[in-house]
Amino acid sequence: MRKLLSTGIAAGALIALVGVTPVTAAEGDAKLSVFHGVPGLTVDVYVNGALTLDNFEPGALAGPLELAPGTYSVAITAADAADASSPAIGPVDLALASGMNYTAVAHLAAAGAPTATLFTNDTSTLAAGEGRLTVRHVAAAPAVDVLAGGTPVITNLVNPAESLLTLPTATISASVAATGTTTPVIGPADVNVAEGVNTIVYAWGSLADNNLALGLQTITGLHSTPGSIPAGEAGLAATNQPVAPAALWLGGSSLVLLLGVVIAATLRARRTATSKGN
Amino acid sequence: MGTGRAGSRRAAILAPALLALVISGCSAAPSTPAPSSSPSVSVSPLAPPPAPPPAPVIDVPTVDASLANQRPAAAAPTRIRIPSLNIDMTVEPAGLDAVGSMALAANPDIASWYRFGPAPGAEGATVIAAHVDSLRYGLGPFARLADAPAGTEIMVSSDDGVEHRYALESVQSTGKPEVPWAAVFDRTGSPRLTLVTCGGEFNYTTRQYQSNIVVTAIPVA
Repeated sequence: MRKLLSTGIAAGALIALVGVTPVTAAEGDAKLSVFHGVPGLTVDVYVNGALTLDNFEPGALAGPLELAPGTYSVAITAADAADASSPAIGPVDLALASGMNYTAVAHLAAAGAPTATLFTNDTSTLAAGEGRLTVRHVAAAPAVDVLAGGTPVITNLVNPAESLLTLPTATISASVAATGTTTPVIGPADVNVAEGVNTIVYAWGSLADNNLALGLQTITGLHSTPGSIPAGEAGLAATNQPVAPAALWLGGSSLVLLLGVVIAATLRARRTATSKGN
Repeated sequence: MGTGRAGSRRAAILAPALLALVISGCSAAPSTPAPSSSPSVSVSPLAPPPAPPPAPVIDVPTVDASLANQRPAAAAPTRIRIPSLNIDMTVEPAGLDAVGSMALAANPDIASWYRFGPAPGAEGATVIAAHVDSLRYGLGPFARLADAPAGTEIMVSSDDGVEHRYALESVQSTGKPEVPWAAVFDRTGSPRLTLVTCGGEFNYTTRQYQSNIVVTAIPVA
């Protein structure tokens, strides 16, 4: 699901101005979002040589762009660079397949160097009542555990890997700790794992620079619907009633009432007998 | 292969349009003062004037991805009133039962809101359902929906104090295997209210109604 981009590959980098526009969204287009996880660096993002994201701030999420399937060259430059000729990250080639959903993440590698990773987002349908939680380690930090309510639910997650969980819908108190420990380096923070949604959490920033943070992306519309609504059991509203339902019901409840009176009377009689015995 | 060709065709059509965008974007961009002390500029009289910073070719929606921007929980409906049918019921949030059906309050006097779907006022269908009857509690208020006329006024109050008003648009009785549940629970499209109960013929052997009554209502000002 994950593809680490070799930042050295610049093959056929600046092609032409092609297809970077949501206006022409068509059946079979790929969706591409971009998450910026490099602290302290405002950037511009060029797709196929065309400026696509201007003054893109750390911690921001852009998109999704709807792109015809194909390979796109993405270059990330310092903000307000004149063009994509001297990128800070990339250029990298992103191969986008028809109908798929991706997030390209500009982030720090575990050792702290800026890099980029293309993740494929899981958009498969969820059962009714369930949500999906995706956690992506894109921070300059060693392996981590992810804890929900203080209990590890994901262990030994390394940069730039991801881990997916399917959960009953809930708001979880999430924290991130060095693997094998429970002392948070991020959080705890409430994360709403909503029904029918892929909630993607990015652990980004730098442990050494003390600026680790969580970023959030949600992909909605992955829900299923209940299979039925059973909403009756007595036939009282039926259009094919054999007898008048009101009479039946009154008869039934009268019987219950009568039974109740008899039981109550019996109990009272017994209590009286017992107290007399004392 | 087919998609590749389609992509090229589209690229060919798009290129001029994008170019136009770039040009208009550039001309509209405020020109920033260029560093005049650049030696390469002063040496050559033929050097073109420095270009203004490029403008993005398209406007891509961008959000702050911090957890603080999570969408707050929607205001849940708490009460439904249909005065002309003498219906005034508490509404409780409901999920699913063990077999994946919507789980309703056992008491037909209490309506259930499908809490995973849209809240009143949100995009899509707000689904509120109630048992039509019960062996324990008897006949419920939603039994009166089957004969309700178009235009019937329906009010749903939410826990944020807002009252949402609807007008009944249609009442449909559909055999249970054919009920289009994906449409009933649709989370897209304009806000609307969908009320569901049971009705039609009753199978006295399986003790099940053979149809669902589905009421659709649209917001009114």
